[in-house]
Amino acid sequence: MTARVTKLSPTWCPGCGNFAILGAIKAALDQLGLEPHQAAFVYDVGCSGNMADFVFAYGFHALHGRGLPPAAGIKLANHNLKVFVIIGDGGGYGEGVSHLLSLARGNHDVTVLVHDNFLYSLTTGQKSPTTPKGQVTPSTPAGVIDEPFNPLATALTNSAAFVARGFAGDIPHLTKLLVAGVKHRGFSLIDILQPCPTYNKSRPYAWYREHIEYLDKIAHDPADLEAALKLSLRTDRLPIGIFYRVPRTPWHENFTLLKTGILADSAIDKIDLTSVLDEFK
Amino acid sequence: MAKFNWQIAGAAGEGIKVSGLMMQKTALRAGWYTYGSTEYPSLIRGGHNTFSVVAGDQPVNSGQVKIDILVDLKTSQIILDQPLKLPLAELANQSGNFLTKNTVALGASCALIGLDLAIFKQVIAEAFAGKDQSITVQNHQAAQLGFDYAAKNFADKKLKLIAPGRALKNQIMICGNEALALGAVAGGMKFYCAYPMTPVTPILHYLAANAKKLNIIVNHAEDEIGVANMAIGAGFGGVRSMVATSGGGFSLMVEALGLAGITETPLVIILGMRPGPASGMPTWSGQGDLLFAINAAQDEFPRIVLAPGDPTEAFTLAKAAQNLAEKYQLPVIILADKNLGEGYYTADQPPAGHTNQRYCLAKTGASPEPFKRYQVTASGISPRPLPGRPGGIFLANSYEHDELGYATEDSRERVKQMDKRLKKLTTILASDDLIAPRIFGPAKAKTTLVSWGSNKGAILDALPSLPNTNLIHFAWLWPFPLAQFKALIAHQPRLITVEGNATGQLSKLIAQQTGTMIKDKILKYDGRQFYPEEIIEGLKKI
Repeated sequence: MTARVTKLSPTWCPGCGNFAILGAIKAALDQLGLEPHQAAFVYDVGCSGNMADFVFAYGFHALHGRGLPPAAGIKLANHNLKVFVIIGDGGGYGEGVSHLLSLARGNHDVTVLVHDNFLYSLTTGQKSPTTPKGQVTPSTPAGVIDEPFNPLATALTNSAAFVARGFAGDIPHLTKLLVAGVKHRGFSLIDILQPCPTYNKSRPYAWYREHIEYLDKIAHDPADLEAALKLSLRTDRLPIGIFYRVPRTPWHENFTLLKTGILADSAIDKIDLTSVLDEFK
Repeated sequence: MAKFNWQIAGAAGEGIKVSGLMMQKTALRAGWYTYGSTEYPSLIRGGHNTFSVVAGDQPVNSGQVKIDILVDLKTSQIILDQPLKLPLAELANQSGNFLTKNTVALGASCALIGLDLAIFKQVIAEAFAGKDQSITVQNHQAAQLGFDYAAKNFADKKLKLIAPGRALKNQIMICGNEALALGAVAGGMKFYCAYPMTPVTPILHYLAANAKKLNIIVNHAEDEIGVANMAIGAGFGGVRSMVATSGGGFSLMVEALGLAGITETPLVIILGMRPGPASGMPTWSGQGDLLFAINAAQDEFPRIVLAPGDPTEAFTLAKAAQNLAEKYQLPVIILADKNLGEGYYTADQPPAGHTNQRYCLAKTGASPEPFKRYQVTASGISPRPLPGRPGGIFLANSYEHDELGYATEDSRERVKQMDKRLKKLTTILASDDLIAPRIFGPAKAKTTLVSWGSNKGAILDALPSLPNTNLIHFAWLWPFPLAQFKALIAHQPRLITVEGNATGQLSKLIAQQTGTMIKDKILKYDGRQFYPEEIIEGLKKI
């Protein structure tokens, strides 16, 4: 069996959704048949990002909110790598949302797992962009004033080529989404409903089970953007599954230079500037 | 020394810079050493734009306050010791194209300076090579009309200059931005990432336009934070990368600078200075970011800060920066400014062929264990595996970490890794890579001007008028070349710093590092670069 984890023990709270997401990642890597050196994980800062010490693969534990740009850089350097981003709703939808839009629009071939627990948990439970309006948190004692951010609708309207939602309470289903996301050539966003038993008492596993709805059980066509958008706007139920999937050229495939090999291997031992020097004479 | 300063002035959108560059190229090919500089406000139409060409039969490295010949498009005049009316519109219309009035003015300028019209016509042909042949024909006609008009009507006004009478061999016309771009490519840069910002936008334009020829990838990313973090990702992946910005963008990159520091990821940042703070004076020049560059980002980590003084140094240092960043696994900041970046110099053509080696890349086997990426070593530099290779698995970590990269809050591990990283500074200072400050002029002089970066040009041009004066020029500022600087100043009785900032940041740095307090300073912070005349005047006032 291929080693998937390090010798370090996870530091998450008992019952944290991150255990399940890590389980789904391990299962997906197995199903994809990826060796540890064939994958690179970029971790944002947050409870989710603390996974950095536990996954046995090349890793880059980035700055808060800045998990996506290094992932695009790593994919550019070596497009043979499967590149993952482990990020939360705070980093992905708040501090770093501009990068989300940029990578989605550019169709950078990375798989983004947003551990969406609807709170900032590593900083002890303040509101996040996805916290429901009115919820009381330490930074919003009178209730959240802002309307929540809609990640799926945002991704869909910004040309994300693969948009899905999973649930940490259903590992086999989430594993399928991960495998599909990695196999999709281009940007994939997987928003993962993640219970936080420590700080988000209003949304335990049972609450999610009552509110989720499996897309593969209703007749949804993932090629239908308008239907996907309509589903993403639903608030009474939380559909999970693949909302949208469309083939589109990944960012790095726009460069002929990368057709012959990976950028990190391109020779620099001999550089010839002859072709550009004449114009300065 | 034969020398003249020609300037063209008009509104933004009137092609001032294009005309200036054509004039400068004509002078260069006629054998003159040249320095061209442009002044323009931050707008697209209107305002007052200028382009000046200083030309000499000996090397010139800077602008000049005194203008010998001014083409004013607004009033259709050529101004020498007195204004001369030039019927620009009328002559342009005669050429068959009203838009050629700049060319008419340049043709007239050639007559007044004594530049060979055939050379100017060749420059015209090259400038319009991609366009319809009729454009070249009309501009040739316009140049001839302007030349003939001035020759006939202003014959007695012709500048009394002895032309160099020889062609310059192996000399090119290049701006600092282009030299930085080419130097980086020569040093193996394969990824350039940027967000547009004056004064370094021309680097983005140049590299984007030539990316295919140069076999590099260029990306205009969403913001400077994305720029720096994407470049760090590419650097982690094994690709030599560079970004460029000005002070505002650099401020946004500061957190990523620390990220490159703690993850020990190679990254080259060009910081093209302009007056600040905040939006400041976008299209002007300054040197206010020296201490910022040396100290930016929280806590302490090693970095290298360079400051080229001209395009030749810009090329050499941009190439060196690529190698230094990889060799020492740290961020390298190149301090440029509008004066260097957008100034067009006569420089030796850089060599076409360049060789590079890769540094400190780990040879990995098939070990199933994590790789000790941050292994404590005597030099502070640890072998670095590249993602994708079997046996090299490690974690690069923005958190303090142990030798494997895993996060730690252990006090001993923290000290070990801090010491390991900072050890690199000692390693660099003891290496051949260090570029010591250099003396220009006599080895020992009564007065020594101490300066850095692009002031080099104006000071070099002032030195011939300053008896018993020399220059110590810093092109490498951090880690501070303490021993080398102390040796240089040991026999210089009087030091005066020359800087483009308000408080004398190099003076402060020298005081901090050497204990030497330099009292006398020539400072300028009005958004303009130094002119040689100002160095001479400034010295008189001290």
